[in-house]
Amino acid sequence: MTRHKVSLEEFHRMVEAGVFPEDLRLELVEGDLVEMSPIGPKHAATVRRLTAHFASLAARGEALLSIQNPLVVGASELYPDLALLRPDPEDYRFRHPEGKDALLVVEVADTTLRYDLDTKVPLYAKAGVPEVWVVDLPGGRVLVHRKPQGEGYGEVRTLGPGEVLEFMGVEVPVEALL
Amino acid sequence: MIRHRFSVEDFHRMAEAGILSEDDRVELVRGEVVELSPIGKRHAYVLNTLVDLLSALRDQGVLSVQNPLVLFPDTEVYPDLALLQPPRTRYRDRLPEANDALLVVEVADTSLDHDLQVKLPLYAKAGVPEVWVVDLVRDRVHVFRKPQGEAYQEARVLEDGELEVLSLKVPVKEVLP
Repeated sequence: MTRHKVSLEEFHRMVEAGVFPEDLRLELVEGDLVEMSPIGPKHAATVRRLTAHFASLAARGEALLSIQNPLVVGASELYPDLALLRPDPEDYRFRHPEGKDALLVVEVADTTLRYDLDTKVPLYAKAGVPEVWVVDLPGGRVLVHRKPQGEGYGEVRTLGPGEVLEFMGVEVPVEALL
Repeated sequence: MIRHRFSVEDFHRMAEAGILSEDDRVELVRGEVVELSPIGKRHAYVLNTLVDLLSALRDQGVLSVQNPLVLFPDTEVYPDLALLQPPRTRYRDRLPEANDALLVVEVADTSLDHDLQVKLPLYAKAGVPEVWVVDLVRDRVHVFRKPQGEAYQEARVLEDGELEVLSLKVPVKEVLP
């Protein structure tokens, strides 16, 4: 049995044709339409804190802050919890940002750690996203991925409480995210 | 990870919007869009033979070949052949559903496992009273009757002898020469 693989173009036409209810949160992952799990309060709190930390970069125009918004990576369309994007003269109004437009992607994992690490991180690597943080809420740690190589990252570091994440001059203490 | 499942209604909306084209040979199985395999020459030949033989029943049933049959709100399949309750005009404004079917026939070469393990339980659950699965690899026909739950209470395998539907008897050797 061969499941029909949905292309990005089909996905967008489905949305336009009203095939999905507006409140359905869907990602397109390698041709499969995947329903995103509802966001729990801890997950939401972490995303708000991350947003607050990176707000200064956005205010200075050094990066665009994109929260739970689409990012096209290869033939997939994902909704990372947070993405820092290269500033764009058109503000990405006429196209979705792609992997090459991303400076940093952060995924907050409450129940989805395996899925984030096994499925999404390789897609971000393949699309050339230079840095990915996966906040493992139950594990109380953050996995920092750098140096995309093929479908993985050449450098993976695990940071715990007491350590500080750093990106473009913004410092984020790990415990602020847990 | 939860894969999104479509309804039959969504499936038709996609077809109308041109997202799934007329050339896409797909069916909807439990909310998933599934691609049908290309039809081989023996499959096509045996199906045409069945159509010839079963057309003797034209007053008692409507022959529907590789056409949609709605089994559930999330399942629309394209059986190789379905014999439906007459008259034909019953289906002018709606698709035939499981309770319209008198008989469903699937011709299987490479798809035998899929037909027996995936589709047969769906036909049983939807209440299709009789299913024939023609196995082109082993030259025999599986006959299933009396749906109960997700299975058929009566299952027979015929290598020769006669298939029987309504008033018609069809020798297996004529279906599988």
